[in-house]
Amino acid sequence: MATTQVNPEQPSAQVSRDEDRILRVWTPVLLRTILLSAAAILLFGLMLMATTAPGYYVEHYRAVEAGHIHQKEPFAQIAHGALAGDPHSVLTVGLFVLTLVPLGRVAFCFLLFIKERDYTYVFLTGYVLFGLALGVFLGRIG
Amino acid sequence: MLEILGGLLALAFGAGFIGALSGLGGGVFIIPGLVILAKMPMEVAVGASLISVVATSAGASVAFVRDGWTNLKVAMVLECATVTGAVTGAYLAGIVSAPVLEGLFALMMLQAAYFSLRRIEEEVVPVGDRLARRLDLQGDIPDSLGGGVVHYEAVNVPGGAAVMLIAGLMSGLVGVGAGALKVTAMDYIMKIPLKVSSATSNFMIGVTAGAGALVFLSRGAVPTTIAAPVALGVTAGALTGSRVLPYANVGLLRRGFIVILFLIAIEMGWRALSGI
Repeated sequence: MATTQVNPEQPSAQVSRDEDRILRVWTPVLLRTILLSAAAILLFGLMLMATTAPGYYVEHYRAVEAGHIHQKEPFAQIAHGALAGDPHSVLTVGLFVLTLVPLGRVAFCFLLFIKERDYTYVFLTGYVLFGLALGVFLGRIG
Repeated sequence: MLEILGGLLALAFGAGFIGALSGLGGGVFIIPGLVILAKMPMEVAVGASLISVVATSAGASVAFVRDGWTNLKVAMVLECATVTGAVTGAYLAGIVSAPVLEGLFALMMLQAAYFSLRRIEEEVVPVGDRLARRLDLQGDIPDSLGGGVVHYEAVNVPGGAAVMLIAGLMSGLVGVGAGALKVTAMDYIMKIPLKVSSATSNFMIGVTAGAGALVFLSRGAVPTTIAAPVALGVTAGALTGSRVLPYANVGLLRRGFIVILFLIAIEMGWRALSGI
């Protein structure tokens, strides 16, 4: 094992200060905010469902249990429904917001690598973002 | 409604709690929970599980990123492979039949059990190969003897990426984080130190599961009535589990969980065989 003595006060030269700051300070703040918002939307949606449409919940649950899974709705309809206070749409929005957590994290890294002019990694993170977007597209057509 | 909701929340809380205690993640337990106990179709369990893997990894990674073990560049290079796999897997999950998914899930359980049982031999590579150096895959970790740091580099990026592609594919197909497979790719194949591999794997799991979850969500294959309480329950269970973890006898727990893993693998394997 190659062990080298270094001053522990001195940060490793390879980890840039920006990368460090973004990872340690901003990423957790961003992640936690999105995560808490998603949890709040989901809780609100469930409470809305319990107070306004408990019958729909049971009906939907039984239908899924019986194998009727797919419910593909246009994004505009989901947004409209959520704003109008439809519990099912509110819950769908909550689930989408939750998946923003990993997306946001990759987007953060993308910006970080652009700032550092590290084009190999701009390309690689760009590919990951493209893959995530492709996922939405494939889901829509599939 | 409240009985169903309460049941789902309790099931998800239990899965998240055991997932955190065992270090295997919530997906491993929520899928058999939903399929065997709640009698849900496999595709529903996979979609709901992917969402809860995203939620738990987001909750957990806040702590993991802070500890300084995560290697961001290693994560990004390998995420190209896992995201490709996850999107493909999640797309295929809508096409292949439930018995195939159940059989693959059983295989993943066996891999996780093998991973927990294998002997760990730490080997640090001070100088990596050409591609790893070109990609700047290296870092420093504190020396366990104290004082200094140990420099590590990586080897065999294509091999690691190939296993990551499979990890992503399985993640999208059967809805687990595939952490055990991810750690194997980094630690065993690329010779990255185990602690760095585990932290980086945790960082990656959210993105991989997120890619799969987006395909499922966009396809309209995530029933909100099930996924919403499951995501909330698993996250709450995982957070509680990670608080309890420091007081638990981890060695004893792990052995117990391996037995449970085998039982789940047998049950899911049996379902797959009898469903064909």
